[in-house]
Amino acid sequence: MADERLELPQGTLDLLILKALSLQPMHGWAISERLQQVSRATLQVPQGSLYPALHRLERRGWIKAQWGASDNNRRAKYYELTRAGRKQLDAEADAWARLTAAVALVLDMS
Amino acid sequence: MLAELWADLRYRLRALIRRDTMDRELSEELRFHLDREAEKYERMGVPHDEAMRRARLAFGGVDRAAEASRDARGTHLIETIAQDLRYALRGLRAASGFTLGVAVTLGLGIGANAAMFGITDRLLFRSPSGLRSPSEVHRVYFRWFEDGSQRVERNMPFRVYRDLVRDTKSFASFAAFQTRSIAVGEGERSRERSVTVASASYFDLFDATPALGRFFSRREDEAPRGAPVVVLGYSFWQSEFGGRTDVLGQQLRVGRTLCTIIGVAPERFAGVSDQGTPAAFMPITAFAWASRETDYTKTVTWSWLELVARRKAGVSVPSANADLTTVFRQSWMASTAEEPGNPPVDSARPSAEVGPIQLGRGPQAANEARVVTWVSGVAFIVLLIACANVANLLLSRAVKRRREIALRLALGVSRGRLVRQLLSESLLLALMGGVLGVLLAQWGGASLRALFLPGERATSVVTDGRTLVVAFVATVAAALLTGLAPVLHSLRGDVARSLGSGARDGGTQPIRARTALLVLQAMLSMVLLVGAGLFVRSLQNVRAMRLGYDVGPVLWVLENPRGVQLTQAQGVALERRLLDEAQSIPGVVAATPAASVPFRSNEGRGLYVEGVDEVRKRGRFLLQAGGPDYFTTVGTRLVRGRAFDRRDDANAPRVVVVSEGMAHALWPGVDALGKCMRIGADTAPCAAVIGVAEDMRLRSLTDEREYTYYIPFAQYDLQPAGSLLVRVSGDAAEYADVVRRRLQRAMPGSSYVTVEPFHELVEPTMRSWQFGATMFLAFGGLALGLAGIGLYSVIAYGVAQRRQEIGVRLALGASRGDVVRLVVRGGLRLVITGIALGAVIALASGRWIAELLFRESPSDPLVFVTVIFTLIAVAVTATLLPALAASRVDPSVTLRAD
Repeated sequence: MADERLELPQGTLDLLILKALSLQPMHGWAISERLQQVSRATLQVPQGSLYPALHRLERRGWIKAQWGASDNNRRAKYYELTRAGRKQLDAEADAWARLTAAVALVLDMS
Repeated sequence: MLAELWADLRYRLRALIRRDTMDRELSEELRFHLDREAEKYERMGVPHDEAMRRARLAFGGVDRAAEASRDARGTHLIETIAQDLRYALRGLRAASGFTLGVAVTLGLGIGANAAMFGITDRLLFRSPSGLRSPSEVHRVYFRWFEDGSQRVERNMPFRVYRDLVRDTKSFASFAAFQTRSIAVGEGERSRERSVTVASASYFDLFDATPALGRFFSRREDEAPRGAPVVVLGYSFWQSEFGGRTDVLGQQLRVGRTLCTIIGVAPERFAGVSDQGTPAAFMPITAFAWASRETDYTKTVTWSWLELVARRKAGVSVPSANADLTTVFRQSWMASTAEEPGNPPVDSARPSAEVGPIQLGRGPQAANEARVVTWVSGVAFIVLLIACANVANLLLSRAVKRRREIALRLALGVSRGRLVRQLLSESLLLALMGGVLGVLLAQWGGASLRALFLPGERATSVVTDGRTLVVAFVATVAAALLTGLAPVLHSLRGDVARSLGSGARDGGTQPIRARTALLVLQAMLSMVLLVGAGLFVRSLQNVRAMRLGYDVGPVLWVLENPRGVQLTQAQGVALERRLLDEAQSIPGVVAATPAASVPFRSNEGRGLYVEGVDEVRKRGRFLLQAGGPDYFTTVGTRLVRGRAFDRRDDANAPRVVVVSEGMAHALWPGVDALGKCMRIGADTAPCAAVIGVAEDMRLRSLTDEREYTYYIPFAQYDLQPAGSLLVRVSGDAAEYADVVRRRLQRAMPGSSYVTVEPFHELVEPTMRSWQFGATMFLAFGGLALGLAGIGLYSVIAYGVAQRRQEIGVRLALGASRGDVVRLVVRGGLRLVITGIALGAVIALASGRWIAELLFRESPSDPLVFVTVIFTLIAVAVTATLLPALAASRVDPSVTLRAD
């Protein structure tokens, strides 16, 4: 059976994480679940690569982490967007939109 | 952007410091993820174990993710470096003898450089502390031609200062100053202290606010009278006034002037002077007004002010120089119009220029400054030799660790990582050496500073940022230099072969590198020791030189009238009383008035001799006037004729004694006795030459065209002389205090005498050779010791490597003597190669150092031969020990081993 899921293009994982966190603070697993659901399982987000990305984003100051209790009362690390992260999200989303629009234009060429 | 960087850095730092916590948190976070993922599957009905398995599968490698997350923290590099350092430290601790040896070797090298840098920096590079925009501030130097040679001066009469201030356009400000010894205080409590006489503009050069009160203003420094005010030096204020704030408004006598204290300079304020902090500052006008009977603003003969100028922004140095020269020429012409004694402007071609604020880099740099530069170079060579030694030791360590390194390469350690580890080791060693070096410099530097910078308050190496930076740079350079050879060696190694061969087999490559290092060491030692030899010989020469007078038993007594106004007759009577008093002191052999004193004051007058066109073109002739006991007192020997005595009084015919060189210069090939000399003017009465005496060194040790003539004090027109010379039986220094106390009784009012042994006048002039000899010898000895140890360790190592071969030779019938010869010959061949190379370099660079030597050829064969023999003796000793060890090899044991 052929895997219908799409590989993530390089560098888009950061954007997806930022977008997911822009709605509400979440822990790592929730982020991965959310990305699966919202993309209707078309995006293949390798769970293992989620964490290095989270740590990198934290280092750059775009997200910050805090330990809190999860819904089943276990300690979990919650990430939330910082102000710099929100700006970064806007910039990256904008860049993405322009990129896809441009690519679409080129593909529509007849 | 900046905030982002800052956040990033803070994160990395936290990650570094709280590494363990973060690791724990990371694994907790990952476990939480896996648990939740597994729960998801369990809710779908998958059994627990299977759910866990699937969770892991979905996650991908947990360890890899953890590692990647750790990397994402950005501390990876630092952590591996820390790991490498820990590893290196363990290795070094295991070999503590080796570590200690290397640290001490590098410590000596780095310490020598740190100590020398402190001095070089002070003399040549550092601008006076507190100086505002130092790149615009210059000393002003003046040049002109006189008697066919160019003279460079930095001291000028007041009128030149005034003309420059008024007429130049390129400068924002000028300041004039001079630091001199002046009696400060009243009566018994008065002492000679260093006082800076300065224009009011002097303080504006600096970023300095008075610790108390204020500096003097331009109004208080207005020619001709100025205002009698004084600013105290901070430490003088502390020591003499207990730092009390009510000193303002009090009176303090400085020289002849009773001054009002108006302020206290900030702590450590030394001005432009590099002679330490003065006790007080007073206006040039007030000082000059009190010091001179004649109008100091007009005189052209009193050159006493040093000048400092601040260039206007945007004015280049050449145009500033042109501006200075134009004004200086005008000033020169104006003064020759009033005082025809000066050479006319066309032949003098006067010019002026700006120079560095540091005297050591200016055209009047003392020999000391140049010697310091050389010695700094020597210190650097010592460091190179030390590095060669350490590289050698590390190399032999690398050879021993060949198998270990090959094993690690085989196990997959990257070469980059390996290089980092080896370099960490040499960096650690160098750091230990650096710390030791700074401590050595701190300890030894104090005595060095006392040698090179007398009067300077000792500053500490440990707290001097610039010296520490240099020490650190030297340390890192040493680490790289010493680390290079072992790294190259390790990388070249063939893993399979190294693992296969025995520990004994080191390959030939490192041996070649090590012999090259040995040759280099021998070469550098040769160069340094030749330098040392040349300076030692110079010092011997200068000490052995007959100055034309005795130094040991003579005291110089200077009369300081200080405000006490005496008529000429009273002055002469006082001087006679002093003379009688001096002669009555037990132990005093003879005494005389003396108008000039070696290296302190001298007097020249126009001389007119029949048959000689222009006397002054034949040399510099200095006048000396002394009493009947003059020659006995100073110990100058008469070569021909007679000395003057009591018969040659004011009414007798004029007589003169000339020095040998002078007789030769004025009357070559003819007997000078009976010749006629007119002194001061061509209309003066004829003074008959009655004797020929030794040449005296009065102004400089090296000027061969400097001659002296002596006239009886009774026939001298500028009485009183103002100073006496006293000869004692024994060491003059021991009598100094007795003589001072006895003579002081005869001095009226607040006037006083100072007494100084001749020795103290002469010694400073020999300083540069003394430094050179001391420092070259110290560093040369250090280099020799290091090179000797290096040679010993290499030969000993070689012998250890060749035990088996030696065993075979012995077994085949070689005698023990043969083995000793074999080993010693190997070592000597290297050393002799080094010596030959070093000799070539020393000969080639000789002309650079020639002018710093004293009557010594830079290719003195005695020096070369002595040094060569010393080096060979050291080499033989260093090789003989391992050679003897080699000869004791027992073939029956070594052949069976390994």
